[in-house]
Amino acid sequence: MKQKSSFWSKDGTKSVLASLLSILIGLAVGSVIVILVGLLNPALGLSGAWDGIRLIFGGIFSTGRNAAGALTFGFNSTNVGNMLFRATPLILTGLSVAVAFKTGLFNIGAPGQYLMGTAASLMLALGIPSETVPTWLIWTIAFLGGILAGALWGCIPGLVKALLNINEVLACIMTNWIAANLVTWMFDGSDFRNLVENTKSGYIYKTTYNGVATAKLGLDKLFPNSQVNGGILIAIVIAILMYILMSKTTLGYQLKACGSNRHAARYAGIADKRNIVLSMAIAGGLSGAAAALYYLSGNTEFFWSTYQTLPATGFNGIPVALLAASHPIAVIFTGCFMSMLDIVGLQLTNLTAYNEYITDVIIATIVYLSAFSLVIKMLLSGRRKRRTAAVSAPAAAPAPAEPDKAAGDDAKTTKGGDEA
Amino acid sequence: MRDMEAENIIEMLHITKEFPGIIANDDITLQLRKGEIHALLGENGAGKSTLMSVLFGLYQPEAGEIRKNGQVVKINNPNDATALGIGMVHQHFKLIDVFTVLDNIILGAETTRLGFLQKREARKKVEALSERYGLKVDLDAKVEDITVGMQQRVEILKMLYRDNEILIFDEPTAVLTPQEIDELMATMKEFAREGKSILFISHKLNEIMAVADRVTVLRKGKYIGTVETKDTDKQSLSNMMVGRPVQLEVVKDPAHPTDVVLHVDHFTVPSKSHKRNAVHEVSFDVRAGEIVCIAGIDGNGQTELVYGLTGLEKSSGGTVTLCGKDITHASIHQRGANMSHIPEDRHKHGLVLDFTLEQNMVLQRFREPRFQHMGFIRNGEVRTYAEGLIEKFDVRSGQGPVTTARSMSGGNQQKAIIARELDREKPLIVAVQPTRGLDVGAIEYIHSQLVAERDQGKAILLVSLELDEVMSLSDRILVMYEGEIVGELDPKQTTVQEMGLYMAGAKRSTKAGEQA
Repeated sequence: MKQKSSFWSKDGTKSVLASLLSILIGLAVGSVIVILVGLLNPALGLSGAWDGIRLIFGGIFSTGRNAAGALTFGFNSTNVGNMLFRATPLILTGLSVAVAFKTGLFNIGAPGQYLMGTAASLMLALGIPSETVPTWLIWTIAFLGGILAGALWGCIPGLVKALLNINEVLACIMTNWIAANLVTWMFDGSDFRNLVENTKSGYIYKTTYNGVATAKLGLDKLFPNSQVNGGILIAIVIAILMYILMSKTTLGYQLKACGSNRHAARYAGIADKRNIVLSMAIAGGLSGAAAALYYLSGNTEFFWSTYQTLPATGFNGIPVALLAASHPIAVIFTGCFMSMLDIVGLQLTNLTAYNEYITDVIIATIVYLSAFSLVIKMLLSGRRKRRTAAVSAPAAAPAPAEPDKAAGDDAKTTKGGDEA
Repeated sequence: MRDMEAENIIEMLHITKEFPGIIANDDITLQLRKGEIHALLGENGAGKSTLMSVLFGLYQPEAGEIRKNGQVVKINNPNDATALGIGMVHQHFKLIDVFTVLDNIILGAETTRLGFLQKREARKKVEALSERYGLKVDLDAKVEDITVGMQQRVEILKMLYRDNEILIFDEPTAVLTPQEIDELMATMKEFAREGKSILFISHKLNEIMAVADRVTVLRKGKYIGTVETKDTDKQSLSNMMVGRPVQLEVVKDPAHPTDVVLHVDHFTVPSKSHKRNAVHEVSFDVRAGEIVCIAGIDGNGQTELVYGLTGLEKSSGGTVTLCGKDITHASIHQRGANMSHIPEDRHKHGLVLDFTLEQNMVLQRFREPRFQHMGFIRNGEVRTYAEGLIEKFDVRSGQGPVTTARSMSGGNQQKAIIARELDREKPLIVAVQPTRGLDVGAIEYIHSQLVAERDQGKAILLVSLELDEVMSLSDRILVMYEGEIVGELDPKQTTVQEMGLYMAGAKRSTKAGEQA
């Protein structure tokens, strides 16, 4: 890859630009649909479409409508707080997918790991009597239990890949459905099925029933009237820890070596099998943590008849990771962005005649484009190269590698394409 | 040598091609005559492939023009090149693995009727071509199932199928066995006799002297000169290519072997592809201060022997003792304590291609306290260490320690591996085809390094398919044939012909396998 080491041609810069471009195009496509729907619907019209577009781009700052019926914008603590609350599990499942990506594995098993984490942390949070055990301890046990359950569930595809060389994608998809049925069965066949509020069958109590809830850590003062709690801070800390693990430690080095070239890792005396299992365990643990933080918040209910659907939060980790180009720190931002689109959807429903599914179109477009972020990156570098050639600007810095190795570059592009 | 009409079929005049930060081709002129074999010689990274990519339409030059039969032509893409009758066999083949040989040959030039493929005619034409030039291929085999040599024949048939008259071969012999190389040379001569013009990119002087009529030499992107092979010799060509006098022969003093470092006793490694053992009850010693070379035709168990010794594959019998310790069942990591390994396949085993050069430099050593503290990698130390090795072993790359290994040239990738392995300072060095695909400058360097290591008292086990290398570098030769050691030879007393007999299984010393 020929590149100067100037800011604009850095790989990281290009990744960020590619992601931002995907987001912009996604929002633009959303806007076009808003306009089309507005024009076709007499109740909306162009003014309705204008409202819709403003909400798509600025929905997070929407404060409702004023007496004259016009949209008002400003800081909305409920929106921002809820965005952070919803971002918490997304950041963690995003990390789960991103860390696996970095080690050459595609963790499509996040939903299953998330479900196992959910079941373990809820059972611990509601099962340990709060009369005898302090609630902070129950919370900690439940949180760690969720991580452990996710990690163990993640180990299964890891083991199958390491020992039998079976593709982790297949094993992940199967373990997802096994988890869905297992969780339903565990709740249905135990006393937990009776822990229900009134007549809401299939829903287990919120953890506040047992007095267990994630500490607010003052965030409720910062964002009054929202569901936000300390979970977002934990998620951010975990993201930073993952960044350190992957880029600064010998363990991360080994995991990445196995991911990029299992044979070379083995040649160098690195235990490739152990590392594959470990990668999946870490990925699973992160998904488990996502579930634990979501359900231990105290204001979320779990519907345990999961055998027909898999939790979307697990799958949404994939676009979060893709958009972040698998960078753990970037996952914090893309996770927040994805949950912001959720909030935007709610605003559209509440304040206009549009429904929230418009944001699903936006998300879908962005996901689609983020899978193409490699192509966009190539276009970005192609443009730059042409410009450099045109001006024949003196190259600031050292040279590229090998013009001779065009073939090698091709190979790289193809490989990258496969990964995406 | 046949008489040469001065008619130039292709002229590349004053071609300049720049990449950001480097001028890959600087005012290069190349004139290809009709019916000649014209070699393009240069070190790794001299700009040979770039020049050919310009001719093939993959790159556009910043300056210069291309003429065919005196007419200026513009080649914007490979389709233009094909239309002009230019065909190319790339160094890394451009074949679709899951397609059959026939499908690969006709791809892009299919005969169709009403949108349906007419494979019968195509098959006839390909069969005729394959017959005529002795290019044996199995038309219905999938490309992924055939040998590299056959894949190359498929590439050649692709060019012939398109009736190309200008054939470019980009380092065609790098992947071939000696026999396949001979066949290829004969085919190329046959093409030239029929009036096709051939551009042959190589840095192997023997082949160029054997097959080419004229040679154009490039060095660091610059045109050095064009000479007739009949007026020159290997030494002056290599001096032109490298820019300084090159030592083609290995200079070394007699070996003074001391203690046994590696003792292999009735060692057996099972084969993955057939029931027989790939390595069968092999016994030998390697002592400190000597270079022992395993010679043999490719596929006679050398690879498996090395895999077994280094722990990449499990052995099924016998013992291996390294520095007095039984390592028959030790892990790769444990073996690494006393063994360096320059692997046969530098892309599969030698490097993590997506890692940077500095990350690759500590592939085994990252656990050492020098490079990590409490599990955190000491990046500063790694950088310093990598810079030291890059300096000491003259590893050239675009951005120094932070260059991605994938973007480096093959020669420098190999130098990086050799730097890493030799600097680990282990008593035993296992080097498998350490100079494959490298130019003379790099080969000279690697040979001198191995000799220097030997003189410092290292035991070196060398596996090589190149007879010249075997003869010039080793102190003792063990010939492997069908998984067994069939003879031990002294390079000073034997001849290439005698060694060839052992390699082909025609001769066998009685005490083979028993002797130490």
